[in-house]
Amino acid sequence: MRGYGLGIAVQLAGLVMAPLLPGLIQTIKARLQGRRGTSPLQPYRELRRLWRKRTVAPLDTTFVYRTAPSLSASALACALLVVPIGASTVGWFGSDMLVLLGLLALARFATAAAAWDPGGGFSLMAAGRDLMFSVFAEPLLLLALVLVAVGAQSTDLVQMVAASGDARIASLPAHWCAALAFGLVVLVETGRQPIDNPDTHLELTMVHEGPLLEYAGRDLAMLQWTAAARHWLVLVLAAGLFVPLPQTAPWNMLALAAVVTALCALVAVVESSLAKMRILRVPALLGAGVATCMIGLASWIAQGAR
Amino acid sequence: MTAQAWLLVAGAAVVAIGIAASAIPRGLRLGLALQAFGVALIGIDGGVVVVGGSAVGSGFENGLGPAMGIDPLSGFFIAAIAIVSTPALIYAGGYLARSHNAPAIAAISGVFVLALVGVVIARDAVTFLMMWELMSVAPAVAILLASRSAETSRAVLVYLGSTHLAGVGVWLSILALAHLGALTDPHALAAQPALVRSLLAVATLVGFGTKAGLMPLHSWLPRAHPAAPAHVSAVMSGMMIKVALYGLVRMLFEWLAPLPGWVAPVLLGAATLSCVGGVLYALMQHELKRLLAFCSVENVGIIALGLATALLAADAGQRQLAALAFAAAMLHTLNHALFKSLLFLCAGSFQRQVGMLDLDRLGGLLRTMPLTGTAFLAGSMAIAGLPPFNGFASEWLTLQALLQLALHGGPADTAAGTLAAAALAATAALAVFCFVKVVGLVLLGAHRQKIVASSHEVPASMTGPVIFLAGLCLAIGVVPGVVLGPIGHLSPYGPLTASAYGSTLTVPGSGAFAPLAVAVFIAVCTAALQLARRQAGTTAPSPMWICGQVPDSRLAWTSAGFTKSLRLVLAVVLRPQRTVSIELDGMLVRSVVHESEVPHLFDDMLYRPVLGRVLAFSRVLRRMQSGSLRAYLSYLLVTLAVVLAVVRAGLR
Repeated sequence: MRGYGLGIAVQLAGLVMAPLLPGLIQTIKARLQGRRGTSPLQPYRELRRLWRKRTVAPLDTTFVYRTAPSLSASALACALLVVPIGASTVGWFGSDMLVLLGLLALARFATAAAAWDPGGGFSLMAAGRDLMFSVFAEPLLLLALVLVAVGAQSTDLVQMVAASGDARIASLPAHWCAALAFGLVVLVETGRQPIDNPDTHLELTMVHEGPLLEYAGRDLAMLQWTAAARHWLVLVLAAGLFVPLPQTAPWNMLALAAVVTALCALVAVVESSLAKMRILRVPALLGAGVATCMIGLASWIAQGAR
Repeated sequence: MTAQAWLLVAGAAVVAIGIAASAIPRGLRLGLALQAFGVALIGIDGGVVVVGGSAVGSGFENGLGPAMGIDPLSGFFIAAIAIVSTPALIYAGGYLARSHNAPAIAAISGVFVLALVGVVIARDAVTFLMMWELMSVAPAVAILLASRSAETSRAVLVYLGSTHLAGVGVWLSILALAHLGALTDPHALAAQPALVRSLLAVATLVGFGTKAGLMPLHSWLPRAHPAAPAHVSAVMSGMMIKVALYGLVRMLFEWLAPLPGWVAPVLLGAATLSCVGGVLYALMQHELKRLLAFCSVENVGIIALGLATALLAADAGQRQLAALAFAAAMLHTLNHALFKSLLFLCAGSFQRQVGMLDLDRLGGLLRTMPLTGTAFLAGSMAIAGLPPFNGFASEWLTLQALLQLALHGGPADTAAGTLAAAALAATAALAVFCFVKVVGLVLLGAHRQKIVASSHEVPASMTGPVIFLAGLCLAIGVVPGVVLGPIGHLSPYGPLTASAYGSTLTVPGSGAFAPLAVAVFIAVCTAALQLARRQAGTTAPSPMWICGQVPDSRLAWTSAGFTKSLRLVLAVVLRPQRTVSIELDGMLVRSVVHESEVPHLFDDMLYRPVLGRVLAFSRVLRRMQSGSLRAYLSYLLVTLAVVLAVVRAGLR
């Protein structure tokens, strides 16, 4: 039971540790590019700075605009508590994979609807693009999760993470296809290159940053935490689902930390080596992910494995 | 007669008195209130039967004598009709106050609701068909009473035409079943040859599928629903298409058994097409009621996905899973009835205050109409399938059923379940996209027209019903187990034992989902963050920053602009058309006219060619109608000769 308790502690700590991941990616990326870069703790400094500032409520905005940051952050906080760590979860909300889809959609709805309230063109253009990506990313996420679920014979995330340690499942082609597809999901959800450029200051090219343009102070802090929480969500889930980790108590947490760090490094490498795509090409990339999942599904059916 | 039968008769009598009262001058409000009360009584009766679990009145009969009765499935649909119609009729009291022909529309509304109930409680073929036709004709009358424009007349014509097409299938299948004795005996059809069963299944799918609005038989729906008065639209979209699904359920799950093997896959395909196609076209609309009508096609698709999953699971021998899929479909039936009628009623309020529903010309209605606006926001979140609203609960169950089918079925089931689940995920994402657009264009931002800025909240008789419906959407989303308990007993595959009926939904082979905990956590967390946000203080209200630009209402973002990226990506499928004509005067640009639209390909590529052929054929046939007596006599002679020849040949 000690491992169980530890997992839950890490899960709760994830709410605090989430900003570490984008910070880590930025640091590694800077090193790869020959710069010294900022400390991995930089996101915390920014959150502290923003938290001290007052918020701005533009004229003619409604409660939709004012509650969107809190609602998005709450939805992501809930989602982080659903993602199991070391095959255990707090279990307040259940641990079904489809719940994650709903909570991510809730956060997306809140921020995209809030972009309509000030009605600025850049925000709405970005929100429309984000929603357009989601039309392709959501089935992709579902398919990737289904391919893991067929191996585990359950759509319960705890069971799916526990099954990833099984050598038989880890060797299935379906599992590998799912891993590839999930990689694309990671890039979309975190808004990383080649899908989106988190470092951009050019409003015309923004996707995830666009709807945040009007926000300031604590509102912006919540939205930045939400973006960091998305990193934590997909990277921890990727590590749990696709990397066979040790099952015993302290080692699984250490291994998880190592794997998540490695995944951050991988994201940094991808981001440093690829240029941003044309926005209208992104669906084709995600479609390739869907095709990969189809191949995985076909291989699963052909094997007749159960 | 039992107490429940008396309650039903009493409810119907109250509605009838209400219909009579609403037809006299100054009796409008009282009459509609009486109608609402009577429908509520009928609904309570239905609810009692669902909870009690035993049938009341007559069972199904093959004969011609009238018979009526309520079993739990009928009871569920009656309760759903009442829960939608009662608020809609109360709403009509305020809504119709200033419209012309109000008494007649009010009376026909009551007749329409009674006809819906009549279809559901009919226990013999004749009553069923009579009520079915009444149900189909009543809204057409209401539409024509409300508006006489050429466009409306055309919409009604298309609606009546489709109703005839549906009627052929329904009449054929019901009468054939009654003839074969299959309404009472579930094994009667098993003795029939496969061809007969297949033909009956085709008639059923075409007949009930058209009325339900399943793609590709949906063409009438986006024309007829927007044309009706708001409360009639609400009941049409909320319940009439569900009553068609009731017929489909009776057919597929009771009378047509054993089903030919192709029915379930075909239904799954049509359902998937309806989901994705419906919401995709909804996204491209720029008139609110038309958008909502397309969205009904999507939701009927989701319900049909659940039904098809139930059939496939039953074929695979997984009765528990089939029961789950069936319950998911029924829950989504109720949920869609709630939020779609809510959205249509709100649209009616907006139209009443602003005069039009062109999405690009509204804006900021949440500030001028806060109650209706908030209810509309809740309905939009529910229909977009977001937790903690009811749409998510039923979509979660439907997806779960599809995934469990994929996990535990045969190879074909795995492929079908996974693909349909992916399509449903895309549908959910598209629905979020669609309703972000709707909420943004209707409720948020600056007012785009003066008349919108000067609008104000509608009276309590119109806000009360929508707030009630919004409350139900939230309540069912937070504790779906409470309604899922009774609904779980409706399935022909035995009760749903797997789902805990408490605050957590547990499906075997899935992680649990605790909607109550999710809702409480999100509410508490959001409230805490809002408090923290307030503590930091807000700067004085200032104009929008929008990256340093000057706000200009002429640059306001439009419906087409917001969806442009998706339209470009899906150009191959959607085939959007745009024309830009620039009028030059020497070197000066005088004017630029830009027109764009997304054509409804089903109309252009399916209906128009078929309709053209049919009309051409009927022109040929018309030549036979020369009007000359001699020609008709010779037709008779030829017919007689042919009949004699056939009889002669048959005798040998």
